[in-house]
Amino acid sequence: MSKVPPSQDQPDDVDDQYRRASALDPSRPSEAVRRAVLAHAAQLVAKRATRDEGSMIKSTRRAVNQAWWRPAILGTLAAAALAGLMVAPRFLALRPPPAAATPSAPDTRTDERAASAPAVGPGSAAKPRASTRGADMPTDRARPKGNAPASDALAPPRAAMDAGLEARQRAPSIDSATTSIAAVPRPGAAVTPTDAPVDRAAAFRRAAEIGDLSGLKALLEKQVDIDSRDAMGRTALMLATLHGQTNEVAVLLAHGADPNAADADGTTPLQAAKAGDHPVIVTALQRYGAR
Amino acid sequence: MTDAGESDEALIGRYARGDAAAFVPLYRRHEMRVWRYLERNVGNRATTDELMQEVWFAVARDAVRYEPTARFTTWLFTIARNRMIDSIRTSRQQVSLETVGYEAELVVQQLTTEPNAGPLAAVVVRDQAAALTQALGQLPREQRDAFLLQIEGDLSVEEVATITQSSFETTKSRLRYARTKLRELLSEYA
Repeated sequence: MSKVPPSQDQPDDVDDQYRRASALDPSRPSEAVRRAVLAHAAQLVAKRATRDEGSMIKSTRRAVNQAWWRPAILGTLAAAALAGLMVAPRFLALRPPPAAATPSAPDTRTDERAASAPAVGPGSAAKPRASTRGADMPTDRARPKGNAPASDALAPPRAAMDAGLEARQRAPSIDSATTSIAAVPRPGAAVTPTDAPVDRAAAFRRAAEIGDLSGLKALLEKQVDIDSRDAMGRTALMLATLHGQTNEVAVLLAHGADPNAADADGTTPLQAAKAGDHPVIVTALQRYGAR
Repeated sequence: MTDAGESDEALIGRYARGDAAAFVPLYRRHEMRVWRYLERNVGNRATTDELMQEVWFAVARDAVRYEPTARFTTWLFTIARNRMIDSIRTSRQQVSLETVGYEAELVVQQLTTEPNAGPLAAVVVRDQAAALTQALGQLPREQRDAFLLQIEGDLSVEEVATITQSSFETTKSRLRYARTKLRELLSEYA
């Protein structure tokens, strides 16, 4: 064969001859092979479709979990950081001054708070009430605010929440919270219809429910009643919990939302979080004393 | 687009995306080519059937991995060749092609020397195919493989070289020698 020079290549002749001879070749794959191949191909497509559906569900679950856990972890961390910022200055400030500790110190602090309230308190609509509020404020709620961070004004301390906020809601005429007071129109109150506290409270709850974090924070800065309730007695915290809004739950808790504010049926946010299978929210609520 | 006008690449793509019906025209289009490539290399019908099934099962299974950077036929015949080599290596149903070749030579000689004699003449045309198969059996394995890949797969020299993992020049030489030898063996049937 090596005697044949490669240059003598004439492929067309041989190829044509080969094709003519192939056309006469009666050998064929068996029909069983053909059927097996085509059936196998169809089965594979069906299996793939099933597997893709399964993997799609898995990936969706994974995506859901990622979308859930990432903000949840971040939210928890943010809540912890905010709580730390809130609590640490208070502990530092509550320490009695070593040299100037006199029996009249609490009153002094109360006065200071009353004097500084307009600066750190709610908006301009609440300012005229600052001195009155300071005077009416129980002594145990009086705390130094001068060193508190700006966010502190948006996050009443736990004691104030427990002691005052519920009472504030149940008795809105008590001049203890600007937003609750503002919710009840009074003669001479300069509240525009679009800026009505009732609307703000509803918008606030809505923001918590749908997970509008920026809207929620904006309304918190306007001193909206953090524990205002809808017709079913649900607070913003409860609505955020029911809808699994982890970030909003964390922010609400950090800003002093009542973790035990039950709805009209008596369901607490903790019960709702457990029922809704929101473990991160459960943990966050428990950290804030939810029962 | 109809199946008849659709390219191999489009059909395998459709199949990979879950259109089972796209596999049928693809299979029918290449069924005989693959069959002949395998059967004329292996020389045994039962083994060819077995390999044929394995090859197309592999095509169906790996369709999702097929990337249209190479022609479908290149991919298909690469699978076919690999399966065939595996089969030969494992001696599952190995046939001595050399033995077939010697037998074939006798047949070819008979056919070429007595093409119009007696009852043999009646079967000459019919036996041309057999003669071809036998003639192919006389080729060295590499030459036969390269020739069958090119003619059945309608592949270029480069594509054959790629599939057989040989250089372009080596492949080209193999193809030339194969054709020259076949021309000699089949000259009486031209």
